[in-house]
Amino acid sequence: MTGHERESISTGTAPWLSGVAFSVILHGLIAVLALVGWSWSGSTPPEPQPNAISARLVSPEPKPSPVVEEQDREEQRQKERERQEAERQRQQEEQARREAERQAEAQKQREAERQRQEAQAKERAEQKAREEEAARKKAEAEAKERERRRQEEERKRQEEARRKAEEEKRRQEEQRRKEEAERKRQAEEEAERKRREAERRLREQQLEALAEKQEQEAREAERRRREAEAARAREAQMLSESQKYQGLIRERLSQAWYPPSSATEDMTARLQITLLPTGELASVKLVNSSGNTAFDNSALGAVRSLSRYPVPDNRDTFERYFRQFTIEFNPERLR
Amino acid sequence: MKRIKSMTAKRAYPRSYANPVLTLAVAFLMLAATGSARAELLIRITEGANAAIPVAVVPFAESGIMPAGDKIGSIVRSDLTMSGQFNLLAPEKMLSLPSQRSDVYFRDWRMLGQRYLLVGQVSREGDQLRARYELFDVNREQRILGETASAPASRARSLGHHISDKVYEAITGEPGVFSTRLAYVTVAGQGEDIRYRLQVSDVDGKRSKVRLESGEPILSPAWSPDGKKLAYVSFETGKPVIFVHELATGERRKVADFRGLNSAPAWSPDGKSLLMTLSRDGNAEVYKMELASGDLTRLTDHWAIDTEGSWDHSGRGIFFTSDRSGGPQIYHMERLGGEARRITFGGRYNARPRPDANGEYVYYVHQREGEFVIARTHLDNGQESIVTRTGADESPSLSPNGRLLIYATEQDGDSVLSVVSTEGGAAYSLPAAEGEVRDPAWGPITR
Repeated sequence: MTGHERESISTGTAPWLSGVAFSVILHGLIAVLALVGWSWSGSTPPEPQPNAISARLVSPEPKPSPVVEEQDREEQRQKERERQEAERQRQQEEQARREAERQAEAQKQREAERQRQEAQAKERAEQKAREEEAARKKAEAEAKERERRRQEEERKRQEEARRKAEEEKRRQEEQRRKEEAERKRQAEEEAERKRREAERRLREQQLEALAEKQEQEAREAERRRREAEAARAREAQMLSESQKYQGLIRERLSQAWYPPSSATEDMTARLQITLLPTGELASVKLVNSSGNTAFDNSALGAVRSLSRYPVPDNRDTFERYFRQFTIEFNPERLR
Repeated sequence: MKRIKSMTAKRAYPRSYANPVLTLAVAFLMLAATGSARAELLIRITEGANAAIPVAVVPFAESGIMPAGDKIGSIVRSDLTMSGQFNLLAPEKMLSLPSQRSDVYFRDWRMLGQRYLLVGQVSREGDQLRARYELFDVNREQRILGETASAPASRARSLGHHISDKVYEAITGEPGVFSTRLAYVTVAGQGEDIRYRLQVSDVDGKRSKVRLESGEPILSPAWSPDGKKLAYVSFETGKPVIFVHELATGERRKVADFRGLNSAPAWSPDGKSLLMTLSRDGNAEVYKMELASGDLTRLTDHWAIDTEGSWDHSGRGIFFTSDRSGGPQIYHMERLGGEARRITFGGRYNARPRPDANGEYVYYVHQREGEFVIARTHLDNGQESIVTRTGADESPSLSPNGRLLIYATEQDGDSVLSVVSTEGGAAYSLPAAEGEVRDPAWGPITR
C-alpha cells in the first residue's frame, strides 16, 4: 500500500524533475565530451585495454658480461690504479683549498654573528625589563581580579551551596514523598496483588474443588459401575450355586417326605423355613395349610427330619437364598 | 363321614414329569426374585419317598391282669402292619421302651429314622381295660394324638382296633378300617354233611362268629350302609331267595322270593333299597327294590343276562355285568334307566363290578390267560390294570377307605381270603379254618 503510494507520488513528480535533470546532465555531458575530445586529439590514443587482464611472469634478461683474456685484464687493472692515484691527489689539493676558503668565510661570519648577538642581547634585556614591569602590573591587577573573583565565586559558591542544600532538601523531600507515594502505591499494589492472589487462589481452590469433586464423582460412578458389574457376576454365580443346593435340598426332602395316603394332587402345603449358616433348621412355619392335617404334618415332619440342610459355604449365597425360603409340598403325577 | 377325594399317595410320582415343571417354576421365581432385596426362594417337592412310613409302636406297659392273647400293643402293631402303609420298627431294635412322654428321648427315635412314635399303657380296673396312649411326631417332637380309652376286658381287641384307627387317621388323614368287620361264607364237609356258614369277623379274621348255618348254599353277603344288616342269597328253601338279616337280633326277612332267580343283592347308599337280579320276567335283569314297600323297578332290559348291579359312588348310577356283547363285561349306567356304557374291553370275561367310594376305579374279576385275577379300570381314561395275580381270584370287595381289597382265592391249594393294598402294598391272608372260604364282603365304618 505504502509502496504503491510512493510510487504514484514519484510518478507524479517525474515530468518536471526529469526534465531539469535531463538538461543539466546533457550540458555536463557536452562539456565533458568536448574536454575529452580535445584531450583525445592532443594525446596519442592509448593502447586499447585488453578486455581481459593476462598476467605473465617474466624473468629479467641476464645482463651481458664482457668476456676478456686474463692477461689483458692485469694490464688494464695497472693502468687504472695509476689513473686513480693521480685523480686522488688532485682531489686532495682541491679539497685543502676549498677548506681554507671556507674557514676564512666562517671567521667573518662568526664575527658578524657575535656583533648581531650582542645587539640582540641588549635589546632582549630592555625588552625584558619592560615586560617585567608590565607583568608585575598585570599580576597585581590579576591578583585583585582573582581576589574579587574568588570572593564572587565564594559568594556564588555559598549561594550555590545554599541553593544546593535547599535543592537537596527539596529533592530529598520530593524523594521522600515519592518514596512514600511509591511505598504507598506498592503497598496498595501489594494489597491489590494479594487480594487478587487470594481471589485467584480462592477461584483456583474452587475450581480445584470442583474438579476434585467431579473426579471423585467420576471415580465414584466408576466404582459403582464396577461394583454393580461385580455384583451382577456374583449374583449369577450365586444363582447357579443356589440352584445346585436347591436341587440337593429338593432331593433330600423328596426322600424324607412320606405323603399320607389321603394326599391328592390339589393339596399344597407351603412352609417357610429358616436355616442357620451351618445348615441346621432354625425354625419352620406352616404358611399355607393344605387343608389336610396329615398332609401338613407329613410336610412338617419331612422338613424337620433333615438334621442338616445342604447349604452353600458361601455366606452371601446362603444369606441371599437359604437363610429363609419357602418349600412347597405338592404331589404331582402323570395321569 | 365326609371323605376327601383321595388319591394314591404312596405311588412313585414320576421324576421325568415333575422336574421340568419344577425347574420352570424355580426359574420363574428366581427371575421374579432378582432385584428384590431378599430373594424368596421356593422349592417345590412334588414327589415323596416311595416307601411305607417308619413308625415305632412301643409295646404298651401293662398293669393288672390282662386278657390272654389280646395284648393291646400287639393288636395295634398287627393292625398297622396289615394296613401296608407303615413300616414298623421291630421292638428289639428299640433303645428304650417308654410308655409316656417323660420317658421319650426323641433323639433316639430320630436316630432310628422313625417318623412317628406310639407309646401307651394299659391298666385293668375291675372289668374294664383302660388304655392311655400317645402318638408323637418324632421330628417335630410333638404329640399329635393322645387319648385314654377304655373297654370291657372281653373287648380288648376292639380297644386295640380303636387305637389303630385313631393312629392311622392321625398319620394318613384317612379313617382307619381296623374296627370294621368282614362277612364271608365258609363251606365245610361234603355230601350230606356239607355246611354253609355265614360268618362275620374282625378285619384281621379274629372273633369270627357264625351268623347263619345251612346245608344249602349261602351266597353274596352284602352289608347295609349302617353295618347292622346283611343281605344275602340263601338256597335254604331249595331255590335262591334274598334275605335281609339283622345282626344284632338275628332276625331274618325274606325280601325277594320271586319265580326264577333272586340273586346279587346290593344296598343303596341310603340303605332304603336293594339292587338285585331277578329272572321273574323271563330273563335275568337288574331291579331296584324299595325295602319298605317291596316296590320293584326294573333297571335293565336286554335279551342278554344283566346281573350284579352295584351303586356307583355318586349313588345315582349303577355298574352291572352283562353278556350282551357275547361274554360277561362291565357296564355303567349313569342314570337309572339311561344308556348303558361298556367299561371293560380287556379279555372275554369281566364280572362282579365293585366301584370304589370316590369314583376313580371299578374293580372286577378278570379272566386272563385262563386264570382269574382282580383287575380295575380307571373310570376317566379307561386304563385297565391288574391288582391281584394269584390265579383263582374272585369276589373282590373294597375296604371303606378304598385302600384295601379283600378277595377269595387259593394259596397252595387252600382256600383263603386275601387282603391287599389297592396300590400293591403288603398283603395278608385269612385262611379258612377248614374247607372253603368264599364271598368276602367288607363292612362299613360304624361309629
